[in-house]
Amino acid sequence: MLRSGRARAGAFAAALMAAAARPLIPAPAPLDLPDILVSRQLAQQAALREGDVVTLAADAAGSGATRFRVGGIYEPTPNPMRFTAKRIEARMHLPDLQALKANKSDPNSAESIGALNIRLVDPADVDAFATAVTDRAPGTSAGPTARAAGGSDPFAVLERFHLAVAIVTVLGSTAFLLALMVMRAEERRETIGIIRLIGVSQRSILLGVLVEGLLIATAGAAFGILVAVATQGAVNRFFQWRYDTALVFVRVTTAIALKSIALSVPLGVVAGLVGSWTLLRRDVVALIRR
Amino acid sequence: MNAWGLAWRTVARNPARAALAVSGVAVIGALLFTMLMLSRGLLVSFRALLDTAGFDVRVVSGQGSMIHREPIADASELAAAIGRLPEVERVALVRTAGAVALGGRAEIRAVDIALVGTTESAIGGVWDIVRGSPLPRDEPAGGPPPMIVSTKLAARLRLEPGSPLQIRVFLPGTASALPPTEGRVVGIGGFRFEATDDLTVSTTMKGFASAFGVVDADEADIVLAASRPGAGSAAAAAAIAALRPDLRSYSNDQVVEQFNQNAFSYFRQISVVLSSMTLAFAFLLVATLLTMSVNQRLGEVAALRALGFRRRRIAANLLCESALLVGTGGLAALPLGGALAVVLDRILRQMPGIPERLHFFVLEPQTVVLHVALLSVTGVLASVYPIWLAARLPIAATLRREIIS
Repeated sequence: MLRSGRARAGAFAAALMAAAARPLIPAPAPLDLPDILVSRQLAQQAALREGDVVTLAADAAGSGATRFRVGGIYEPTPNPMRFTAKRIEARMHLPDLQALKANKSDPNSAESIGALNIRLVDPADVDAFATAVTDRAPGTSAGPTARAAGGSDPFAVLERFHLAVAIVTVLGSTAFLLALMVMRAEERRETIGIIRLIGVSQRSILLGVLVEGLLIATAGAAFGILVAVATQGAVNRFFQWRYDTALVFVRVTTAIALKSIALSVPLGVVAGLVGSWTLLRRDVVALIRR
Repeated sequence: MNAWGLAWRTVARNPARAALAVSGVAVIGALLFTMLMLSRGLLVSFRALLDTAGFDVRVVSGQGSMIHREPIADASELAAAIGRLPEVERVALVRTAGAVALGGRAEIRAVDIALVGTTESAIGGVWDIVRGSPLPRDEPAGGPPPMIVSTKLAARLRLEPGSPLQIRVFLPGTASALPPTEGRVVGIGGFRFEATDDLTVSTTMKGFASAFGVVDADEADIVLAASRPGAGSAAAAAAIAALRPDLRSYSNDQVVEQFNQNAFSYFRQISVVLSSMTLAFAFLLVATLLTMSVNQRLGEVAALRALGFRRRRIAANLLCESALLVGTGGLAALPLGGALAVVLDRILRQMPGIPERLHFFVLEPQTVVLHVALLSVTGVLASVYPIWLAARLPIAATLRREIIS
């Protein structure tokens, strides 16, 4: 993407304009006017319908006021960088926006754009291309649209934040799980003592504990994933309602579900083994003594 | 022996179990404490940042936003008019632009900077001077523009007070650059609003205009005003709004409220969600541990009841046991949560554009009070079911079952 500091316009045919104080004035009769698309939020706020005629201006004083016909209403593409902003937007053809924003004292303003989206033949050339553009056209900046891996962009930072919170949660859960397993093992002290008295080997008991831990941990992980799947809709609906956006905030993917199982099942099994190990090491008589 | 003593002996009888339970509560409590610090941290920190800058009213153009501001014309006249208001003590003009500093080091050709033009010259406001002097109030005619550079830029370009510094600005909307302007570094300072990834150069409004090749430009992006003691920022903002209805004036309270409604709301909500989850988790943890503990001690409880212990006494014992686990864990959670907040704050402050002095997690006395209150309520609620279980225990049947088993 290539940017310069001129009008706050978007890329070709995707001009973006925030409605200023005065600019939107619906009128009843549709004429032979240029079409614009208005965002759902703008349509709701200004009670606009398809076919309405609106007047848009470059500023609150009404500079360059032009009439347009609402050709349609669109749901803005969710943008995580702007999800807290209210999407009061309209899209129009680039020449219409340039005419609207044209400054009579600056003939170049009618040909100005804010950004260019460029598809390179070889995406690997992005750095060389950006350097070439910046060197040849002072005042512009060029950069890749792809997110840099592990960088300091807000989503990479948020990902690290969520990962840190998840690690703390797992640590807390581990302590909780260990406490439960120790109690559970203690509860079965006599049973294990009797089993050992009748000749069942420690290895068999350990294997039993292992299988039991595996079953419980798998069931727990599956239940957790089911809860997450069931509640993700509610979480998304709440935040989508709160910020009036179609952005998806929570998504339980297969990879995430597998990661959860990969983490929780071994953790559950190990906690079970640690809990039982203290009993298995004890003398049989000590186990059945009351 | 009172209920506390009995609860202590019960907990101490299984030290490993108690240690694990306390550890679980401590870790979860630490997360809760951290999230409580996050819920208001940005607001408190942002407010402190605004207040320490020495101005409590901000005036911007009627169009744009607090971040994307249109320039205000005839700024000097506006500043003088605002300064004459009885509610206002002093006024400063600010202009900002992106520019490039051409440094003295051969290996560094140019670095991107934020160029700030201001009429402010006081130390301790928007900057702290580390070396050199602040911007002069009266700039001598014909000399190079005086400049204050941030400590990071000074280190990067090896600048000292007295060093020459070339600045090149870009004209917005044109694919061309102006010739560089040479200024003189008069001071090196720390800018309060400088982001971690920013390098800042501040100069006078005249110096700023000359960098753009114009000497008579009289525009400002923002007008800062300090209200007179006794008048208050709200009254000053209202007076400025009455003076110039075409502009927008905000007191610090209003600025904070705007950010609270938009930019900061995500972190507030994340903190609410995670606080609720950690509380639910702590509830489950304590309730499960106490219930299992009671189930293991049914015979003991029945024996105590048979000896004449009242239901209330048994309930008090369990409540004290819960209080010991949650209380000890909750206390341990405070330093643990503080350490966790430092780590998480360091992660979140890696976001681009965040002022270096802004913090996401801030410790306030009310956060500790809320933490204690929430954990206390959780501890009490978590002990309700085990208490009910112990209180309705049939004494004879339980003792019989205990003997038979």
